[in-house]
Amino acid sequence: MLPEFNLKRPLTLNEALSEYAAGSYKIIAGGTDMIVEMRKEKSIDFDILDISGIPKLKSIKKEGGKIIIGALSTFSDVFKNEIVQKEVPLLKEAVRNAGSLQIRNRGTIGGNICNASPAADSVPPLVALDAEVNLVSTKGQRTVKLDEFITRPYATNIKEGEILKSITFSPPVCTGYHFYKLGRREALAISRMNVAVMLNIKGGVIEDAVISPGSVMPFVGRVTEAEELLEGNKPSKELFEKAGLKVSGIMIKESGIRWSTEYKKPVIKEMVSRALNFAAGTEK
Amino acid sequence: MEKLKINFKLNGKQIRVECEPAKTLLDLIRDDLGLKGVKRGCEIGECGACTVIMNGEIVNSCMVLAPQVEGSDITTIEGLTSDESLHPIQTAFMEKGAVQCGFCIPGMILSAKVLLDNKPSPSGSEIRTAIAGNLCRCTGYKQIVDAIKYAAQLMKNE
Ligand SMILES: Cc1cc2nc3c(=O)[nH]c(=O)nc-3n(C[C@H](O)[C@H](O)[C@H](O)COP(=O)(O)OP(=O)(O)OC[C@H]3O[C@@H](n4cnc5c(N)ncnc54)[C@H](O)[C@@H]3O)c2cc1C
Ligand code: FES
Ligand code: FES
Repeated sequence: MLPEFNLKRPLTLNEALSEYAAGSYKIIAGGTDMIVEMRKEKSIDFDILDISGIPKLKSIKKEGGKIIIGALSTFSDVFKNEIVQKEVPLLKEAVRNAGSLQIRNRGTIGGNICNASPAADSVPPLVALDAEVNLVSTKGQRTVKLDEFITRPYATNIKEGEILKSITFSPPVCTGYHFYKLGRREALAISRMNVAVMLNIKGGVIEDAVISPGSVMPFVGRVTEAEELLEGNKPSKELFEKAGLKVSGIMIKESGIRWSTEYKKPVIKEMVSRALNFAAGTEK
Repeated sequence: MEKLKINFKLNGKQIRVECEPAKTLLDLIRDDLGLKGVKRGCEIGECGACTVIMNGEIVNSCMVLAPQVEGSDITTIEGLTSDESLHPIQTAFMEKGAVQCGFCIPGMILSAKVLLDNKPSPSGSEIRTAIAGNLCRCTGYKQIVDAIKYAAQLMKNE
């Protein structure tokens, strides 16, 4: 058994918000991070607000040209969704290998974002898509850019009483994309390093480039310096190698030299340039 | 801690239990309800020994809080057949020598069942993806993959 707690299971968002404001709760959705955390403790000083029974938070839809993913959508829901498959295959590829099928059937996108692990697989593609998160509380609503919402590893600027309701973004304009994930063991290792890239190539020239590394960086966000190096140029292996070098250089500048830096440097360069080659079709 | 009433379907039967919220679905079905086919392994989502089918999808029962199954439909290995006969997947596992110590097998078979229910003729790589969350420390997986392929044939002939 887990350490003891009381549990409330509201069936509507409004009920959940007032309960959340009134008590001392932690939220559970799919539980795939929370249960692991709770198992480490002998006792816990909070109760559990189980939001998994709120159907309204489990939809994926398109409205006014934007794609809206409800926070309770699981990795499997996203993977199987037609809108995602057609309009954002990058996101589909990113969640394809998150954990095992058992994990993908429970783990939610909202939980993945709120847990803010540097290895979260949905975060790099969603940052690449300039996604925004929609937060609600009894006091009202607010919308924040995802790369500002996650402030550092395992930390977000979510406020007391706030529930993540959905994630919104516009379908991307790109000719190619790639999600590169380097894991210790194929199915189950939480990805050690990952990167999402998108390229829009017109008339043989890169018009737009997006490079959004996950756990390789000490921050969440796009690497604009490397993106700018690509834009306006013809795609080539040499160019993509330069971009890879740029990203690894920035990683070193940002994180300082640590035990893992030496190992990471060439790996990041290689991951980024390979991902770009895949996106451009210069490598299969 | 305040007990909660939970209603759900277990192996086709509607049941109603009272249970502490700190119990997982694994604790509830294995310890309270005595269905020992659901194995307790790592309890952190990594081994798949506790796999059950929840509303048509496989989940690790160690990662689901008991109150979260309210209104759900749960199938364990005990619910695979209604009488004493074996399910074709079980027959295939036996015939192909896919069972050694057996600890991983209930979870493995339930993962195979959901796969075959949705994809009657899966490829080898589809089979490996479907069972990637079920660790087996004995067989090296080859016999298991073969057994699932064979089960697909048996189920088509049924
Ligand atoms: C064996 C294993 C393998 C894994 N592999 C991967 C992997 O490859 N890639 C990967 O990215 N992740 C992986 N994970 C981690 C995990 O599955 C994901 O992070 C998942 O998305 C978490 O979602 P959840 O619904 O289960 O979150 P929960 O555990 O329910 O919650 C996680 C956190 O988010 C908060 N929270 C959840 N929903 C909301 C909401 N709507 N509003 C506000 N706060 C909320 C909770 O309070 C908690 O702090 C793995 C986990 C395990 C156990
Ligand atoms: S016991 Fe549940 S996954 Fe290992
Ligand atoms: S048969 Fe022993 S763990 Fe699979």
